[in-house]
Amino acid sequence: MAENLLEVNNLKTYFFTRSGVVKAVDDVSFVIKPSQTLGVVGESGCGKSVTALSIMRLIATPPGKIVGGEINFNGENILEKNLDELTDLRGSQISMIFQDPMTSLNPVFTVGNQIAETVKRHHKDLSNDQAWKRSVEMLDLVRIPDAKKRAKSYPHEFSGGMRQRVMIAIALACNPKLLVADEPTTALDVTIQAQVLELMSGLSKEFGTAVMLITHDLGVVAGTCQHVNVMYAGHVVESAPVKQIFETPAHPYTVGLLRSIPRMDEKHGSSLTPIGGQPPDLSREIIGCPYAPRCPKVQNRCRQERPELKPVGRGEQVAACFYPD
Amino acid sequence: MVQFLIKRFIGLIFVVIGVTFITFVMGYFAPGDPIRAMMGSHYDPVVYAQLKHTYGLDQPFFVQYWHFLTGLFRLDFGLSFQYQNRPVWDILKDGIPISTELGFWALVLEVLVGIPIGIISALKANTWIDTTNMGIVLVMYSLPVFVFAVFFQVFVVSIDNGTGAQWPVANWGNAWHYSWSDIQFKIGPIVILALSLVAYLARITRTSMLEVLRQDFVRTARAKGMRERVVIYRHALRNALIPVVTILGLSLGLIVTGTFFLEDFFNIPGIGETTLQATQYRDYPVIQATAVLLAVAVVIGNLISDILYTLVDPRIKAA
Amino acid sequence: MDTKDKNQEITGHEYMSPDSPVSPLLIDPDIAVLAENELATTLSENELKELQEKQQKPATPLQDSLRRLRRDKRAMVCIGIIGFFVLLAIFGPLIYQHVGGPYTSPTSGTIGPQVYHTYYHQELDRQDEGPSAQYWLGTDSLGRDLLARLMQGLLISISIAVLVEVVDITMGILIGVLAGFHGGWIDQVLARFTDIIFAFPGLLFIILVAGIFGEWADTNLSGIPVIGANGNARLLLVSLALAFVAWPLMARYVRGQTLQLKEQQFVEAARTSGTSDTQITLRHIIPNLFSIVVVAATLNMVNTIVAEAGISLLGLGVQTPGSSIGLMISQAQNMVSSHPWEILLPAGVLAIIVLCFSFFGDGLRDAFDPRSKD
Repeated sequence: MAENLLEVNNLKTYFFTRSGVVKAVDDVSFVIKPSQTLGVVGESGCGKSVTALSIMRLIATPPGKIVGGEINFNGENILEKNLDELTDLRGSQISMIFQDPMTSLNPVFTVGNQIAETVKRHHKDLSNDQAWKRSVEMLDLVRIPDAKKRAKSYPHEFSGGMRQRVMIAIALACNPKLLVADEPTTALDVTIQAQVLELMSGLSKEFGTAVMLITHDLGVVAGTCQHVNVMYAGHVVESAPVKQIFETPAHPYTVGLLRSIPRMDEKHGSSLTPIGGQPPDLSREIIGCPYAPRCPKVQNRCRQERPELKPVGRGEQVAACFYPD
Repeated sequence: MVQFLIKRFIGLIFVVIGVTFITFVMGYFAPGDPIRAMMGSHYDPVVYAQLKHTYGLDQPFFVQYWHFLTGLFRLDFGLSFQYQNRPVWDILKDGIPISTELGFWALVLEVLVGIPIGIISALKANTWIDTTNMGIVLVMYSLPVFVFAVFFQVFVVSIDNGTGAQWPVANWGNAWHYSWSDIQFKIGPIVILALSLVAYLARITRTSMLEVLRQDFVRTARAKGMRERVVIYRHALRNALIPVVTILGLSLGLIVTGTFFLEDFFNIPGIGETTLQATQYRDYPVIQATAVLLAVAVVIGNLISDILYTLVDPRIKAA
Repeated sequence: MDTKDKNQEITGHEYMSPDSPVSPLLIDPDIAVLAENELATTLSENELKELQEKQQKPATPLQDSLRRLRRDKRAMVCIGIIGFFVLLAIFGPLIYQHVGGPYTSPTSGTIGPQVYHTYYHQELDRQDEGPSAQYWLGTDSLGRDLLARLMQGLLISISIAVLVEVVDITMGILIGVLAGFHGGWIDQVLARFTDIIFAFPGLLFIILVAGIFGEWADTNLSGIPVIGANGNARLLLVSLALAFVAWPLMARYVRGQTLQLKEQQFVEAARTSGTSDTQITLRHIIPNLFSIVVVAATLNMVNTIVAEAGISLLGLGVQTPGSSIGLMISQAQNMVSSHPWEILLPAGVLAIIVLCFSFFGDGLRDAFDPRSKD
């Protein structure tokens, strides 16, 4: 059943620090279908970035470690691959782009060089000229004007938005099946954000690339994703097609998130509705539902048992709550 | 980039002028009357006036300074006080290749040893390899050159005594020749000088490398699927070496200082030794000449390291 | 003498080697925030106790730094060793000159330890001896007591280090604060001046000074009691030269710190409340310069001690009959094959002092600014 491009089963990634074990990702499971755009939302520290890095196996190993679970890509478990196979996979089958475009590019190499490097790494039969041509093509594709000339420029000669496009060019140069995008637009101006997102959408549709889009911005999710995972304290607490997340959110956390977004049609001068409390300390043992301390609907059971993801409503929506909406 | 270099160059010219001025002023206000001293007991007013004229010492201050400056460009440092009628340049020129040789090889060795140590320490940060490396390096960094020289000499001499070998602890052999006996003379001082500098370079390389390895673009390189060796030696190292290049320029001052001590210690006939002898004979022109030559060398060295820096860091080109 | 420590150095993060089975990389920034906060708030038993103590009595940053310093065992051992040498230099001769019985010398008649335990008394038929009951560390080739010479050398080193530092700190703070606070032409001049000083290798300058003015100093400055007598006249000259070369760097550090402080809010607050510039300088800026001045001064002291030893080694500093560690080394050079002890003693002592100072300086820097460690 090669239906799912990516299957993450019971992933556990812990960080072993001096003050205890931080369970950044604690039993997370989800799937991504081919050409699907999955949004992953949650607060800072909920584990979304760590999940992404785990998929690429880019977790710094002291102090982090993937302690359990499987990550099946095209049927093969990434966690069992050796270093060679892994580096073959990265950049050609699965690519990643990061949050801060200002620092993600190597300042001493031209952008053309940095794209061509990926190309050559994964297509060893290509000549330098061919690789360079491909890099110019990619720059064109991500709409860098005057691509041929700009390929010889250095990263510091580009603005933030353009650098992020270069990152996209690098990531897509070898036509990966999955693009993991860790908050790609958070560091950009709002107007540029829209451009970059649109670019990503367009390209992924054109090439059939699946995208795992990590963000804390629900607005971004609404515009680009087909399916959404909501994460909290290292767990996936809700997962549903995008429409259902927005129209019929089931988990109280999702409800709280949506409610906390200021709306254009709210009365002027009314106060914001934040979610009270703080996210839990992930180095402490969490008994019961991790959201319990902040949940407006909390019951005794919530404090004792941890809820599993269960179907709610219609279709593919699942939520980890004993008392979903 | 050209603008940057021009600015630096002007700054350096200013420094050179400052240095030559200070050197000249000191010579001008030097106590004692060198002409008198030269004449000793044969004082004769006529000859005195003649000599004074030959040495240009009867001119006003700024005229003398002007002659001094212009003379510098022609490598004319005037005449020695000690060896009458012998141009200072003549006295120094034999020593220059020797001192340069010592400094040059020390620099080469410093780079060849220091940078790899720094890299290894960075890659194995906080393991016993790193701690040991940096411990040894700290000791080498702290100890002055001549202390190394002392321990080396004692060591070699005791081996000589014990085994009857004849490893030398003085002199230099032939400049820029490398027969086995030449090497025997040279290797000690060169290694000692290099060791005292290696520490400096190793520390900087380690720090820089650690700093670079934390950067986002290193993570990007890995995400692209580049092999670890490529990530470290192409992506990281290239960036880490940027500050190291500038620091190399600074180590020139240390090399110059070290050379002086080692030449004195090992009786190496370089310009350091010549100058030290000149101090004993109050041969000021020689001292001045060396001071200017070496200061200029250091200044040029810094300029070269600046140029290298602009070549190596593309961000500077646009500045 | 040489500006090795021009650059503030920092050590890096914990990092792992690329050989490990799971490919490593950077910590996820989200977690890094959490984890780092955890790391930062790690409290060991002792720290917990201290925290409780502190909560009763808020400590000044100075006390905090001192506390950190006291916990650095390596630094404490080193300052202990340095302290020992200081005491040895100051009180050693006084004690040593009263230890030992009368000795009948063929050249000088019957003399007591107050004669033969001085650093300048020569006992020509007791040359090059090893350690004995009479001469605790042996004698040199002129029959002089090595322990006495060592103590005198230490005294010289310490005195010069202190003298140079006093000038260094005074000039450094004065010019540095003016340059940082008022900027303008003072700043420009300082910058140019510093450039020149840096370009001129320190040793060269001192050789120039000592070489040209050395003899003049010998004849004219020997008259100055204590300092100038006994071959130390040139040393006075050398100290001035060393101080001259050292203060621009201190001024640079001070200027940098002043600039930083100037921008901070408490200075602005003081200004808005009408405090005059001089008052601001004296009451707000200078006290906060303490840590950087202390660290820079300690590091410079090492340089001074090494420089003095080096200069005397080259024959341009202390002259016979005086004693200096550098002089002891150069005078023992001929004896390396026959009596290596004579050269190893001063070299070894110098090595120990320099290492101790270096470790202590490192510890000091870490204590005052622990952030510079990561």
